[in-house]
Amino acid sequence: MATEVTAVPVLAESNTLRSEEERLRGMLEERLGIHTRFTSLPGTRALLVSPIAAGGSKGLVVDRSVSAAERISLYVHLVAHIALKHDLPLITIVESRGDVTSGDENNHRAADRLARAMWWGTSARADGRELWPGGRSRVLRPLLASRPGRLGLRLLLLVLRRLYYAARARRLLEDTVVARSLRDALCVTAVVCAAPELAAAHAGRDHSTA
Amino acid sequence: MRLQDRERVSRAIRTLRGDRSLDSLVDRIYEITEGSVSLDRATLQRVATGQTRVTRAIDSPEDCVRLYFALMIIGCEEELTLAEIVGEGRTMLAGFVGEPLATLVFADLRRTLPKLADLRTLREYLEEGLRVWLPK
Repeated sequence: MATEVTAVPVLAESNTLRSEEERLRGMLEERLGIHTRFTSLPGTRALLVSPIAAGGSKGLVVDRSVSAAERISLYVHLVAHIALKHDLPLITIVESRGDVTSGDENNHRAADRLARAMWWGTSARADGRELWPGGRSRVLRPLLASRPGRLGLRLLLLVLRRLYYAARARRLLEDTVVARSLRDALCVTAVVCAAPELAAAHAGRDHSTA
Repeated sequence: MRLQDRERVSRAIRTLRGDRSLDSLVDRIYEITEGSVSLDRATLQRVATGQTRVTRAIDSPEDCVRLYFALMIIGCEEELTLAEIVGEGRTMLAGFVGEPLATLVFADLRRTLPKLADLRTLREYLEEGLRVWLPK
């Protein structure tokens, strides 16, 4: 079997994003029985392999070049697929980088719609609201709806983060609502920048389902 | 299990093993399947040379499916062509478990194949496919 890579060596990724990604990956394992590993997958972002028996653990293989922000968006998208029962026994869900190549584009569109609702905590199931970072930063949604808004907000948040560390505000504000809100906002903005379909009402995706 | 077409299965195994010796093939299958498929050398020798229909070490459909994935992973390691790996893998599986179950298991690979960029990605797919078939 291939060597498992548990630490993904992507440089210059924020600790906030990486720790959030780890938390969500742990949640996938614990709640949905999804075992994740990272490897090189040219042309493909991820494969989700389902076993023949319901309740068996699923296998998720993620391309190691996918950034933490993209991985977070991938997880919410795959959870949406599972909620929509697309993870049938012996069916592999392929998240490609290229154009859609199969007739299952509708499944991905439906998953995108549900992922958006889950991400912002607007789905019918209220128990998932705090699960995703978007649910804790819903106020950002209108700001992130447009590309200029996303880029502007990201820049502003990065400047604020730099000031936070430069002014040594960390000693005063660590573990306060201000620091937590800033971290959540940075995380949500980075993820939505990586996956704009989480913000837009009608956005396409470059992937397909096997 | 009783093989349904021992000559064809024998040819499929000989193709998928590439340049490996039977000893090395037995060891690799054992490694890849994490010990869950422990074919002995004598049995594999008889199957690969088309001398027997009966494989006592492979006594359940799950074992057959694990062997199917393992042999195709070995085909990737031997850098066979994609058509050889997929075609011979399917033939081998059908020979072991019969056409209906083979078609069911193979259907996912058939659907997924156009989206797999190369042998490396195929191998990752096969490894993950095998992983979900390994005993808990």
